[in-house]
Amino acid sequence: MTDAAQQRLAELLSRTAMGDHAAFADLYGATRAKLFAVSLRIVRERALAEEALQDSFVSIWHHAADYARAKGAPTTWMAAIVRNRSLDLVRRTREFPDVDDSLAAQLVDESAAPARDAEAHDAAHALGRCLGELDPEQRQSIALAFFHGLTHSELAAHLGRPLGTVKTHVRRGLLKLRDCLMRAGHT
Amino acid sequence: MRKLDPDLAHRLAAEYALGTLRGRARARFEAIARADADVDAIRRQWEAAFAPFTERVPEVEPPARVWTRIEERVTRPRGGWSSVGFWRSFGLLAGGVATVLFAAFLYLAGSPRGEPAVVAVLISPTNEARMTLTLQAPDTLRIHNVRPWKSVQDAGRALELWALPKEGAPRSLGLVANAPGDFVMRVPMDDARVQGVKAFALSSEPAGGSPTKQPSGPVLCQGMAGPVKKT
Repeated sequence: MTDAAQQRLAELLSRTAMGDHAAFADLYGATRAKLFAVSLRIVRERALAEEALQDSFVSIWHHAADYARAKGAPTTWMAAIVRNRSLDLVRRTREFPDVDDSLAAQLVDESAAPARDAEAHDAAHALGRCLGELDPEQRQSIALAFFHGLTHSELAAHLGRPLGTVKTHVRRGLLKLRDCLMRAGHT
Repeated sequence: MRKLDPDLAHRLAAEYALGTLRGRARARFEAIARADADVDAIRRQWEAAFAPFTERVPEVEPPARVWTRIEERVTRPRGGWSSVGFWRSFGLLAGGVATVLFAAFLYLAGSPRGEPAVVAVLISPTNEARMTLTLQAPDTLRIHNVRPWKSVQDAGRALELWALPKEGAPRSLGLVANAPGDFVMRVPMDDARVQGVKAFALSSEPAGGSPTKQPSGPVLCQGMAGPVKKT
């Protein structure tokens, strides 16, 4: 998303904080499809994703004033709310999580190609390149956890690895990611 | 609360943003981040670091009924109170605040006619209950200021209380003393300014109040209007 689009969302959020219904409706219209998709990947059931989106926007309505304190991009702030609510709602035990390993792979691959929109994809480029520095198992664990809200135990079941090994992959992967992103100036 | 060392804070924040920090550990980390601005900044860094992931998720259009229900919930006068269970589970609000809300809810539910009714609990951006509004008499609003805002005092600014209607612009109810304790404000229940009010907010304004007759400074705290029973 471009800076101009983020700026517009920030304005809609500040008007929402003052109780402006029209701004709130525009905010929903601009973000619903992305946020619904984010939730759906985690909860895996449309009814639950609908509930998560609903709860999240009611929360955004009441807490829009908090956004000013959060300082980051509006989409990051809103996605965090949706992810949190989705993680709360997700079925606790999923023996065979139905997951899709392709998104992270795509992110890593595309980062190798020249950035098409340098301004908007700078951060994505850094994340993609840094993910590329991880071991494949670390990368896969991190992507599965993020996109599908898998717990350490679910990751272990999905990957057919011992729990301790998976925890170590995630922890070491995140450490490497942090070092790499810090070098790139992104965290 | 024990101060987290930065390495541990990064480790926890990374697993929090990733989503692998769950259950009690997740709630505990949220509480620490709310109380510690340094930890909160690290949490935001990690959320921002993963943001490009979100950009790559192909969009899925939600059904129209989702918006219908959101609208119902944000315009329903009792929404703020009846969804206490949701707020409690949501984790954005501090446990203390949820407790205050819940206590207010019980108080209202059980309050016999004639007792002061809680109108609203105003919550700060850091999720602290900073001001409560109760109806002392049918035409008298009692304002309890939990503690003054030092930043407002230092800047020589004033506190202005606003009624936010369901539709349209905020309406000023007047200036509130920036001092701890209780103050009363005469607001008849048939006052046009409080008709159809959804929420209340307190903003920081230049001395003497907003020059534009609309909130011009930052909102310091706000809260949904609760059910006001005629006494």
